[in-house]
Amino acid sequence: MRRASVWIFLAYLCTPSFALYREEIYKEDLRIQSLRDGRVSTTFSFVTVLEGASPRNPKALGQRDESQHYALFPLTLGQILREYAITELHLTLNAGKWNYDNWGHPHEAEVGTGAELWAWMGASEVTTVDERWSGLRNALSGLFCASLGSLDSRRTLSPTVAFPLSGSTPTFSPHELRHASLPSENVCTENLTPFLKLLPCKSHAGLAALLNPQKVFDADWHGMGIHVIWKEDTGIELKLSLQAVFNPVRTSPGKRRDWNLQSLFDRSIERSCPVASSSAITVVLPEGKDHKITPENPAHVDGLAIYDLSSSSNFTIPSNIAMYWPSEHSFQYPLPPLTPITPLSVKRTIHGTTQTRGVLSVSVTNNSPQEISVGYLEMMPALITLWMHTLKVKINSQIRSDLLSELKYHPPSPQSNDRFSPSMLQAVLTIPPNATLKISMEVNKAFLKYTEHPPDAMRGWDLPGAVFFPLSQSSHNTSSSYDWERIYTPALLVDLPTPDFSMPYNVIILSCTLMTLIFGSIFNLLTRKWVVMEIQE
Amino acid sequence: MNTPPAFSFLVCLRLLLAVLPLPGQNLLKHDHQLSSPLTSNLRLKEGLWLLDNNIDPYTGGSFHHSPLLLSVFSTIVPPLPIIWAISDAVGAWALLRIWRARQGLLSQKGTRSNVENLITSVYLLNPYLLLPSLALSTSTFENTLILLALMFASQGKVSSALLAIAFAVHLTPSSILLLLPIFMVLVSSPVSHLASPRPFHGNLKRIPFLFGEFTLYWLVLVGAACIITGGSWSWVRASWGATLTLPDLTPNPGPWWYFFTEMFDHFRPFFLMVFSVLRSTLSYTYYPICIKFQHDPLYAAFLLTGVLGTFKAYLTLADPGLFLSMISIFPEVHGYLRHPIITTLLHLHAALLLPLQHVLWVSEGRGNANFYYAASLVMGMAGGAGLVDACWAGMRIAVGMQKRLRKM
Repeated sequence: MRRASVWIFLAYLCTPSFALYREEIYKEDLRIQSLRDGRVSTTFSFVTVLEGASPRNPKALGQRDESQHYALFPLTLGQILREYAITELHLTLNAGKWNYDNWGHPHEAEVGTGAELWAWMGASEVTTVDERWSGLRNALSGLFCASLGSLDSRRTLSPTVAFPLSGSTPTFSPHELRHASLPSENVCTENLTPFLKLLPCKSHAGLAALLNPQKVFDADWHGMGIHVIWKEDTGIELKLSLQAVFNPVRTSPGKRRDWNLQSLFDRSIERSCPVASSSAITVVLPEGKDHKITPENPAHVDGLAIYDLSSSSNFTIPSNIAMYWPSEHSFQYPLPPLTPITPLSVKRTIHGTTQTRGVLSVSVTNNSPQEISVGYLEMMPALITLWMHTLKVKINSQIRSDLLSELKYHPPSPQSNDRFSPSMLQAVLTIPPNATLKISMEVNKAFLKYTEHPPDAMRGWDLPGAVFFPLSQSSHNTSSSYDWERIYTPALLVDLPTPDFSMPYNVIILSCTLMTLIFGSIFNLLTRKWVVMEIQE
Repeated sequence: MNTPPAFSFLVCLRLLLAVLPLPGQNLLKHDHQLSSPLTSNLRLKEGLWLLDNNIDPYTGGSFHHSPLLLSVFSTIVPPLPIIWAISDAVGAWALLRIWRARQGLLSQKGTRSNVENLITSVYLLNPYLLLPSLALSTSTFENTLILLALMFASQGKVSSALLAIAFAVHLTPSSILLLLPIFMVLVSSPVSHLASPRPFHGNLKRIPFLFGEFTLYWLVLVGAACIITGGSWSWVRASWGATLTLPDLTPNPGPWWYFFTEMFDHFRPFFLMVFSVLRSTLSYTYYPICIKFQHDPLYAAFLLTGVLGTFKAYLTLADPGLFLSMISIFPEVHGYLRHPIITTLLHLHAALLLPLQHVLWVSEGRGNANFYYAASLVMGMAGGAGLVDACWAGMRIAVGMQKRLRKM
């Protein structure tokens, strides 16, 4: 341990030019929380801060960039950020449905199913935002082995209200947002490996040593996120996060909800990451007294047990952290009806019996005794047409159009090569206390060319979930102290009518036969000379 | 004018159908046989909503109606079912007047009311026309405009006829096929000369002037549409371009949609060109029909509605419906139809198969697209057979007459 510190110190000495003007800080944190349905939510976050750094001015894209030397910040990602002059970047790859009602709001808000990528970029005459967006998603898809390249113009939108800049706004040029999501993207080991490579200690030391792909991808819900934010007073902050919701009740033989690091990850932390300025495991202690946690003497703050693992502290690394309920023989699921933990519960479905149309219905329930105003965002690929004139807002089957305000609808707009961007619907919903608001509208499903269908056409198409977002306090002072970032509804699967995929030649032949048959008969009639013949008998 | 008893009765019935709340009307509105993306009531209403909310309806790729319809329904009257009923009544009335003009009857004399009853019933009770009208498809207006144009033409009212056909061409560019026969009717007469063919007589020099007047009306309509949409031309691509580029592949009873659903991407522009050329100006039947039936241009117009009713890009049942209903005003050819039973059976076959296969494919999920395609091929056969029938009869009648004359 001490030898490693010496080497790091020497390394710092050897790179004086860089170390002089730019400080890099690396912090890691693991947060573990037992949920009321017996599951265990774990959130890893690895934060690297480039102090004093600022994003590249896109107007200088034509000129030579300053050289990039990083000690802790991943160079591969840094190169992408500089190449496309990205001010803010968020990429998440998730699998599963986040159960807000039972699990509460996630520690990392971005839990939309599949891949989601959004970036804020400054406008520039040198290269357009769309060109850089296309380069960015191709570069990231190479870096993370994900199909981000298919987040093309058919999936890209600019919902600036729901996805505002999280950091500071640079002054060099007006900024634009590009957002795209791909709900059908699967997350797997091949995405985790490049993710770990971005960490300074990889998975050799520190908290990342726990990330065992076999366990992480066996979790009921798992997802990873890459967030690059620029804050004027600190610099560029890179946050790599990984969330997983484990189910010890399912995996343990006695159906118990006890967990420990060894059972969750099948790995343990051998040594701490020497370059981490802070490294901690935080366990959120459940309410009630019947649980036990080992090792027992951590720092307790407001119902949190904090284990400091950083090399600077004199705390020895606990070989295992465990929580158990000694008096509980096996875990009893709480009996329904369960009141949802979050003040808002959302359900969204498309129903209808035919393959050509359906009804999109969203029901939002306010579980709190106060009125809640919330932003509602729907980003629908153009293969689904929303019939806006059929939009209905109801409470207890009474039409209440006054509860939906500031409606903004952008129909799909034509892009190059005959494609259409998604349509975007954005509105503000006001939900009275303890009431359920139901929004419904008819939708049409498109008939696609046979070449536009995916190879597994019968599986259907994944539609991205809707997003509910809090409104800024200034514009709506009705919203209470209820603090949250965003709610994603699960993705939807729709089946589109499919043509027959083996028929192209047959159809060409049969249709052309019909044409020639009619043509032939009429040509025959029109060019025939009619004469009356007298038959001599 | 005096109308046959059936007319008043059926119009009252039709108005009643519009006013009464019918069960299953929502199903009719969504039916792909009755309204295409270009004529669908749902899309019209969506366009009106978008217009109300200051969004350009033509950007989204789902609205293909003409701006004129949009402005009529947003400013003058809301799209109420009664308007479709009135349009049907006007269509039937126009058909009646065409028949009278063709027979050389003055409107005061209410003779031969049996035939007139038949003509009205054939138009107002034709399921191919009634159902799209109940589904509030705008193809009803297109049919009525075509009939009005033919009516004014046969009455010799030049400006009205040209205005009506300019409207029809504005709504569906493919009805430009009817332009030449209408000019010919205007410069000659609508009276039947099928039995005694003769070279075209009429002042051909008037046709350029007629064409000039038509172009003027058409340009005025285009200008009006541009003013309505605030000077943007996006509606041209969305409404007229749709029949050429086929952006929406919603199934219909015509032969186009499945052909282009299954077409290889790189052949698509070529075949779009081939199909458009076949159907429109250089259509294989366009000039030959006009030349062959130069002695009776109204009959040529009738045959061309048959061509439209078979080969339209976004075909609905209303298009063959117009052709079938128009047969009733040519009673002289009824005896000479080539294979009327086969044509009737083909139509019956198609009319039963189309909704059945559509439900099996799209709603039940038990059939597949090929079944519906097969039914649409039968529909194409039926349209073609009807065309051959009418063509044959129009020429066969002359031979019969010659023979009879020679025997005398």
